Amino acid sequence: MNASAESVDASGARSFLPDFCSIRTLLVVLIVAELLAMVLVLGAPAPWDLFWQELGVRSLFIQWVALASVASLCWSRPWLGRLDDRGAGLLSYGIVLAVTVLVSAVALWGGRAVGLDPAGGDALAYVLRHLGVSAVVGAVLLRFLYLGHQQRALVQAQAEARIEALQARIRPHFLFNSMNTIAALIRSRPQRAEAAVEDLADLFRASLSEARGLVPLHQELDMARRYMALEGLRLGERLRVHWDLDQVPGDVLLPPLVLQPLLENAIYHGVEQLPGGGVIGVHGRLTGERLYLQVTNPVPPRSEPAYRGNRMALDNIRERLGLACGRGAGVAVKLEAQCCRVTLTLPRGEAP
Amino acid sequence: MKVLIVDDETLARERLRALLAELPECRVVGEAATGRQALEQAQAQAPDVVLLDIRMPVMDGLEAARHLSGFAQPPAVIFTTAYDRHALEAFEIAALDYLLKPVRKGRLEQALRRARRPERVKLQGLEYDSGARTHICARSRGALQLVAVNDVAYFLADRKYVTVRHTAGEILIEESLRALEEEFGAAFMRIHRNALVAVQRLQGIERDGDGRPLARLTDVEERLEISRRHLPEVRRQLRARG
Repeated sequence: MNASAESVDASGARSFLPDFCSIRTLLVVLIVAELLAMVLVLGAPAPWDLFWQELGVRSLFIQWVALASVASLCWSRPWLGRLDDRGAGLLSYGIVLAVTVLVSAVALWGGRAVGLDPAGGDALAYVLRHLGVSAVVGAVLLRFLYLGHQQRALVQAQAEARIEALQARIRPHFLFNSMNTIAALIRSRPQRAEAAVEDLADLFRASLSEARGLVPLHQELDMARRYMALEGLRLGERLRVHWDLDQVPGDVLLPPLVLQPLLENAIYHGVEQLPGGGVIGVHGRLTGERLYLQVTNPVPPRSEPAYRGNRMALDNIRERLGLACGRGAGVAVKLEAQCCRVTLTLPRGEAP
Repeated sequence: MKVLIVDDETLARERLRALLAELPECRVVGEAATGRQALEQAQAQAPDVVLLDIRMPVMDGLEAARHLSGFAQPPAVIFTTAYDRHALEAFEIAALDYLLKPVRKGRLEQALRRARRPERVKLQGLEYDSGARTHICARSRGALQLVAVNDVAYFLADRKYVTVRHTAGEILIEESLRALEEEFGAAFMRIHRNALVAVQRLQGIERDGDGRPLARLTDVEERLEISRRHLPEVRRQLRARG
C-alpha cells in the first residue's frame, strides 16, 4: 500500500487543488457561489416578495468574494504549487477567508459612501457573519476536493498495480528473444524449433492462467526447466544451470511462478551481462515449517545499477508472495563481490 | 556492401547471416559478440554497415555506436533489438534506423538500402542517455586502442591531449578533463586542475622534497601532485575509506 502511494506521488505529484486559472474552474466556482446565495436567501426569514431583491444583493456580494478568491488563488499558484497538500490547503483556505474580510470591508465602506449601511449598524457582526459562512463553505469545499482527489489517485494506483502484476510474470524481452531464436532454428534445426515452440506455449499458458491456488514444487520446477531450456538455446554455452533440489520433496506446495522470475533476473542481470556466461545455482531446503529456495548467479563487476533494477523486480515478487502466502514469506537478496544470492522463504504448504 | 554482424547470441547472428546470404549485394565481413569486439572488427574490416544489437555484455550497442561515430570513416549503424522501449523512443527521435527481432527480410533490405545513401543520419543526433562509457577509445596511426574505464588509474591533462593511464600502459585522447569529470564523476575525483584519479585507487598522500603533497595510487609508480584546493577533499576521501 505504501509503495503504491509513493508511486502515485512520484508519477503524478499533482496537487488536490484544481487549476484556479482555468475557465472551467471559474465557471464551477460561479455556479457554486450562486447556489450558495440561493440557499442563504431561502434560509433567511424574509418575505417572499423580497426574494429577488435579496437574491440580487447576496449574489452580488458572494460573487465578488468568489471571483476575488479565484483571482487570488490563480495569482498565488506558484506558491501553492511549492507546498505539500496540507500547506496548500491551509494557504488557500486563508486566502479565501482574507478575501471575504476584504470584500466585506469594501461593501461596508461602499455602502456607507452612498448612504446605505448593509451592516445595519454593527460592522463587526457583519464581517464576522460573512467570515463564518466563508469558513464553513470553504472547509466543506476543500474537503470535497481532497476526497475526490484521493479517490482518483487510489483508482489510478490500483490500475497501475494490476498492470504491473501482469507484466511481472514474464518480460516481453523473453518472448521476442525466444521468437528470434525459434526463427533461427527453423532453418537449421527444425526439430529443436518445434520443441522450443512447445516449451514457449507451456510457459505462456502457465503465466496467463488465472489459477491463484498453490501448485506442487515439481510442477513449478517443470516450468523453470522449460524456461531454462529456452534461454539455453538462446545463450548456448554461456548459460549453465546447477539444480540442487534433491532434498525437497516434489509435492511441497508453493504459489505458481515464483521461481521463474528469479531465474529471469539471474539471466538478465547476471549471466547475460558476462561474455563467458556463468553457472546459475538453484538450491532448495526444507525445514519443519519453511521451504527455502535459493538462486545464485554471477554478476559482472561494478553492477550497482543492474542491482537496482533487479531490486525493483524483486519488490514485485515480494508483493506477490505476500499476497499468496501472507506473513512468513519473504525474499532476501545478498549481493557479494561477484555473486548475487536471492533466497525465497515460504511457509511450508501441506500436501493435500 | 560489407556488413558486420554484432550480437551476443549465436543463433541471432546465424539468422542474420542466413538472411544476408539471400541478398546478392551484401557480404558479411565479420561477426562480433560484444561492443568491444565490434569496434575491433570494424577497425580491421572497415564495414559499410554494422548491424548492432543493443543488449550485450562488456560494452552495449549504444556505447559501441558512440565510439563508432568517432571513426575517421564511420560505418552506417543499424540497431537490432528484440524489445527495448526506451532505446526505441530515442531512435525514433533521432531518426535512426533500427530493426526489431525477429528481423524480416524485407525490412532488412530496406534498412540496408537506406544505409547506402550518402546523406545517412549521423549518430550525433542520438540524444539517448546511455550513461557513462565503459571504455575509453583512442585511434593512433590507424590502430584502435580500447581501455576499460575500470582499468584507468588517472586522466592527466596536457595542453591539447589527455593522457589516460591504465593498468597496462597509457593512451592519449582528445577530450576535455571537465567532460570526463562530468561523465565519470562518481568513480573519479579531481585532485589538481590537470588531474582526475580513480577514487578506488587512491592509496595515500606523500610529500616531495619541497613539501608538496603527492597522491599515491594502486598499481601506478608515478605520484601525482595534489593542489592545495583539492587537498581537503582527498583527505576526506582517504579518511572515509578508513
